[in-house]
Amino acid sequence: MLIRLDHVTHTYQPGSPFQATAIRDVTLEIRPGEFLALIGHTGCGKSTLAQHINGLLKPTEGRVLLDGKDIHEKGFSKKELRRAVGLVFQYPEHQLFEETVFKDVAFGPRNLGLAENEIKERVEEALERVGLTDPGIAEKSPFELSGGQMRRAAMAGVLAMRPEVLVLDEPAAGLDPQSREDMLQLISHLHSQGTTVVMISHSMDDVARFADRAVVMEKGAIAMEGAPEEIFRHGERLESMGLDVPSVCRIGMLLRGKGVACPEEMFREDQAYDALLALWKGGKAHGVQ
Amino acid sequence: MAFNNITLGQYYPVDSEVHKMDPRVKIVLLIAAIVAVFLAQNLMALVPVMVFLALAARLSRVPVKLMIKGLKPLRFILILTFVMNLFFLPGETPLLDLGFAVIKRESVITAVRYSLRLVLLVLFSSLLTLTTAPIALTDGLERLLSPLKVIRFPAHEMAMMMTIALRFIPTLLEEADKIMKAQTARGADFESGNLFKRAKAMVPLLVPLFVSAFRRAGDLAMAMEARCYHGGEGRTRLRVLKCEERDYWACLWVAVLILGVALVNRLF
Repeated sequence: MLIRLDHVTHTYQPGSPFQATAIRDVTLEIRPGEFLALIGHTGCGKSTLAQHINGLLKPTEGRVLLDGKDIHEKGFSKKELRRAVGLVFQYPEHQLFEETVFKDVAFGPRNLGLAENEIKERVEEALERVGLTDPGIAEKSPFELSGGQMRRAAMAGVLAMRPEVLVLDEPAAGLDPQSREDMLQLISHLHSQGTTVVMISHSMDDVARFADRAVVMEKGAIAMEGAPEEIFRHGERLESMGLDVPSVCRIGMLLRGKGVACPEEMFREDQAYDALLALWKGGKAHGVQ
Repeated sequence: MAFNNITLGQYYPVDSEVHKMDPRVKIVLLIAAIVAVFLAQNLMALVPVMVFLALAARLSRVPVKLMIKGLKPLRFILILTFVMNLFFLPGETPLLDLGFAVIKRESVITAVRYSLRLVLLVLFSSLLTLTTAPIALTDGLERLLSPLKVIRFPAHEMAMMMTIALRFIPTLLEEADKIMKAQTARGADFESGNLFKRAKAMVPLLVPLFVSAFRRAGDLAMAMEARCYHGGEGRTRLRVLKCEERDYWACLWVAVLILGVALVNRLF
């Protein structure tokens, strides 16, 4: 399934004194099976862009195409679109509402009009995927769960719709390190099983670790696009946009500044490990302490 | 679907003599102006009221269009008042024979007077809300009601509640919009179906909204207590309300207005 944003512009409250253009002439292709990271400064239009992908917002100008068909054209099934493209908002645990975790996760499948046994199967699968498997947890009120568990329950609510494309708006924001790692592992796992992932993130380390492709937005437009390795090569440009490079990149820059021959191709922890180990061994061979 | 086209309150921020007035004085004078409107016993007596309103509106530098807009929600009541009075009030001089009813001269005059009275009441009130920031308004109200503390009326608490409510309306609207979108993404349908179905569809919106409102309330209470809030007792203000020359002049003009209305009542 191929999603294409074709010269999309979105203006909030056009014609009013509060008029604000959030995204401007954005053309972007979301390829099947890829892990796309969306990065940019707060207020650059990432979230607005994300909401266009499953038709929650209608472009003021331009089109959103799903396999070549305009999603806002008459006769296009929004229901099918919402099933195929799952959107996990920031702090999704704020949308929990049902009496039990089970019922809340079942909300999406039920809206799809599925049969009861199919719903049950999907809910159980989704809960298992997010790791909410403690006995009896499905019958608990979602408001009794811990913060991390609530986030996972909300995530399960989207996964139960079995989306082919998963759009996540800062899924790890505000979580403790362990929950954060679990969440990222879950997303990575879903991706490895064939789900297309679009992730908005402020953590360049996560982008370097997981993304196949990154899109940098600035003031509502796409400023840079490419593999994370290419993007992070332009550290200064990112910094001028108020963004960052992965911490490993920064170490590399510092070392090079001190005259150490640290390779530039160092964005992830594993790469850093190899590079620094090689340097250390090389240094030893030359008798440097 | 989006709620963000609602502008809250009507405050029109410009710098004018009316804006700078003490909110307490403005509230009292609004009541006085309402008294003047009701004092007028005939159409002629409403003329000084209208002149006064026109001058005050001019002085406030609020666009006339904006004031007229305040009448829009009342158009049905206005039309209803006018039509009812037109047909059902007693009168002697026939003016127009419609076949099923006869319109009489006296009823036309009274219908105009009643409708005009309603229009004036609304316009005076909007002049107050257009020129006074909500916070100033609640502040003024608190001070005006504080003598009632003697009979244990919680003036400070009420004003604080109003201030907080006003502060959180836009926040909750934003939150509602966000939750609505999130549930729509999960296939919820807020826009179709019959009344019962639609009311039921509101549950996934209302429950999280209430939860978040309570959470915010708890956080706010904590933050207020952390800054030593303990009710109105012994609390001093950053901006002390003070009557100035312009307030005394305004009182004088309103007094002149009431006298004027009384005078015209006598003459006609």
